[in-house]
Amino acid sequence: MWTACRGLKFLILLSLALWSLACGGEAPSGPGAESTSKEASRAGSGGVRLTIVSGSENKSLEPLVVEYGRQVGADIEVRYQGSVDISLALENGRNADFDAVWPANSLWLVLGDRHKVVKHEKSIMRSPVVFGVKKSVAESLGWVDKSDLRVNDILAAAEAGKLRFAMTSATQSNSGASAYFGFLSAMAGSPDVLSIEHLEDKEVRDQVRRLLKTVDRSSGSSGWLRDLVIQSYDRFDAMVNYEALVIEANQDLESRGLEPFYAIYPIDGMTIADSPLAYVDKGSKRKEELFLGLQEHLLSPTVQASLGAFGRRTGLLGLDAGSMDRTVFRSDWGISPERVISPIPVPEESVVRAALELYQTALRKPSLTAYVLDYSGSMRGDGIAHLKTAMGTLLDKEVAQRYWLQPSQDDVHIIIPFDGAPRAVWQAEGADSADLRVLLNKIRSAEAGGGTDIYEAVGEAVEQIGRYENRLADFFPAIILMSDGKSKGSLEQLETQFRTSSFAYDVPIFSIAFGKADESQLEALADLTSGRAFDGKKDLVKAFRAAKGYN
Amino acid sequence: MNWKPFAGLLLLAAVAGAVYFFQGTEQGSAGPKGADGKVEASERIEVPCYVGGEKSRYLKNPRVQEILAEKYGLVLKATKAGSIEMVTTLPVEQMSCLWPSNQVAVELYRGRSGVPPALAQETIFNSPIVLYTWDVVAEALAQEGLVESRDGVQFLTGFDVLVGHLESGTSWQEIGLPQLFGKIKIFSTDPRKSNSGNMFSGLMANMLNGGDVVGPEALETVLPKLKSYFERMGYMESSSGDIFENFLKTGVGAKPIVVGYENQLIEFAIENQRHLEMLRQRIRTLYPVPTVWSSHPLMALDSKGKRLIEAFEDPELQQLAWTQHGFRSGLMGAQNDPADLPVTGLPASIEAVVPMPTAEAMGRIIDGL
Repeated sequence: MWTACRGLKFLILLSLALWSLACGGEAPSGPGAESTSKEASRAGSGGVRLTIVSGSENKSLEPLVVEYGRQVGADIEVRYQGSVDISLALENGRNADFDAVWPANSLWLVLGDRHKVVKHEKSIMRSPVVFGVKKSVAESLGWVDKSDLRVNDILAAAEAGKLRFAMTSATQSNSGASAYFGFLSAMAGSPDVLSIEHLEDKEVRDQVRRLLKTVDRSSGSSGWLRDLVIQSYDRFDAMVNYEALVIEANQDLESRGLEPFYAIYPIDGMTIADSPLAYVDKGSKRKEELFLGLQEHLLSPTVQASLGAFGRRTGLLGLDAGSMDRTVFRSDWGISPERVISPIPVPEESVVRAALELYQTALRKPSLTAYVLDYSGSMRGDGIAHLKTAMGTLLDKEVAQRYWLQPSQDDVHIIIPFDGAPRAVWQAEGADSADLRVLLNKIRSAEAGGGTDIYEAVGEAVEQIGRYENRLADFFPAIILMSDGKSKGSLEQLETQFRTSSFAYDVPIFSIAFGKADESQLEALADLTSGRAFDGKKDLVKAFRAAKGYN
Repeated sequence: MNWKPFAGLLLLAAVAGAVYFFQGTEQGSAGPKGADGKVEASERIEVPCYVGGEKSRYLKNPRVQEILAEKYGLVLKATKAGSIEMVTTLPVEQMSCLWPSNQVAVELYRGRSGVPPALAQETIFNSPIVLYTWDVVAEALAQEGLVESRDGVQFLTGFDVLVGHLESGTSWQEIGLPQLFGKIKIFSTDPRKSNSGNMFSGLMANMLNGGDVVGPEALETVLPKLKSYFERMGYMESSSGDIFENFLKTGVGAKPIVVGYENQLIEFAIENQRHLEMLRQRIRTLYPVPTVWSSHPLMALDSKGKRLIEAFEDPELQQLAWTQHGFRSGLMGAQNDPADLPVTGLPASIEAVVPMPTAEAMGRIIDGL
């Protein structure tokens, strides 16, 4: 979703970046500015390649990074992963297939850096995690200019059906995790810091479960969540996201003549993302120098100012550095730099892990997932093997646990293998290992063969989900569709079924392309339901994990 | 409280030390010199050393490296290491010296078996443990009568009262800061991992003991209180540099008060001169009464290490440490003039200092936290 507005911003940002590189030496006293010219002329970076793994919230800043690489003759690549995936990947230590990380919060470095390979960690910018609520909704709730709004007020509004909101998964994405920790802390009565005792407290669990039950839509990424609420504007009243992404969304919405979000800062559930950029030391001096040059560049006064134009809080001191542009940090959007933001204290590492485990296995709204899996003839060989491994990572509890994807007691798993038509419906409920193993064995013993019809198979999935129609609000329903071929049949035929259904359009389809899949067919299905298309051609297992992270 | 006799002791030692300092600087130390009076590159020797991270900016200062190389023929090969790990667990066979950031480390090294003894030891720098805070917090504390300003220096004279607030869970609101959410806290690094947090835990132990140095008996009653204090902190940074950066960047709401070394703000201000005015307006250094010294004893394990000690007694190296990095001289009798620095609110000397608990007591504190 590269809108005109964002495209323009890209150009402005790019020209600022170039200006900064060209004129960096001009300001005599700033170490950042001085180094820019030094770094730019440093011949040592020529031909060096640096791969950064970053949270999706930094996507709009990529031109700055890539352009810096070009200027110093180096090749800088940015890849996007959720904070949790970044943390997991760091556990590989020196074997990580990247050179630097840029998660949303330093917490994920603490959790992942078991081999002590991370160094030169510096926060590039800050952004609080807020509730962006459509302004008219905020007004009707009496939340505009209310400075002491608490998490309980949000629970009350959501339970009364006055606030339909979307939030990322706490075990996949930093903004969701941040909000979740805010909820826990608030429901535990704002203790000095969260402890295991709080997590074991039934009262706290019940309250947080109630709040999470009101979430209308989950996501695996904060950047995608922003796009979703713009795209499906009428379906949501609010999103939990970074203040910066609320600003980005508002700029977009205003250019379309739509009502913007108003930022709410619940005083007992605040967190701040500090976006640390850190180096992963694998022993290359030249990469390290390139990295340090880039970091200094991003921290130089000019680039910091341009990051400010993107709604990031930057500068030397605090969250209210004087240069904040009031046409970006707008008070009519609820954003006031003067407000003191007191985040909840970060709990100890063991408490963080226990809380995430609790979210995944007990407190989150359960998933109702229909896996629609292509067993057509072209899947023979590697394809079917990858598919079976992928399903193993989701349904084998021990493997799923590694990725914080383990099932909860209330999850529902429906498997629909298909070729030219749906072959069967296999189903299990809950998190019992034996039940899941039976399901997995069926998946593993089926063989590839026959043609491809994704539409009829998706239609069957909608039928199956329809059996839960009267309590669909208790679940995050989703269809995870994987295919490697060109489907017969047509979307029109499926839409006829959708139009007679009261819920089909509300079940997102997360489609995964594999092999020689017709991507346009898969994308169309994702678009139809505000889902997302994933590319599984390089790594099918990873694509399945990512798709499940959105459910 | 019981720190005044110790200050007297310092003074006495200062007189004795001045003589040593004088002799030390008289010796022209290094090897053959070229026509320009500089030690030739081929004659320079490398000195491998474990160094606490607090000094890394100073040691990377090009002028410091130049003086060491040209005047003394030394190239310091510094490996960054924690003050405690370098004297207790890291292999030292290849090292010519150890340069931790607290005196307890010297005691710990003395008790370590199977390692070469320190041939010489000199405290090169000192830096008091201070509290960094924001203008509004300092003003509220002053209003409460906990902070006194003398000659522009802010002393936390009501440190004992503040510790009482920490223990009883007083909220920020109760001391006139309704804009801050929750209870009063002082954030430090993890005492088990980082030197400044470690020293603060020693200082807190003394404060919880009525201001007297904690001995083995008092520890019985102090340790449970100290443990419950640190448990309330949650996750703690493991480096003094990180907590200082987080303090500055996440602001008054996130980190109202943090523990640091006096030199951190000075070094930061010098590197960010154009923001001096803003720093002066917003950031306050509070000197706890009493505080503890983070001293920087350089321990020589061989003759190269001994030459390094001599080199760091060089007046210009000492002057650079103060004027560009904020380290007070540890050499007896040496003076540091706050007027040399762009930062205001620095005392000429630190009077109210309490000794850290012994190495043994600190060991029990760390094990008990």
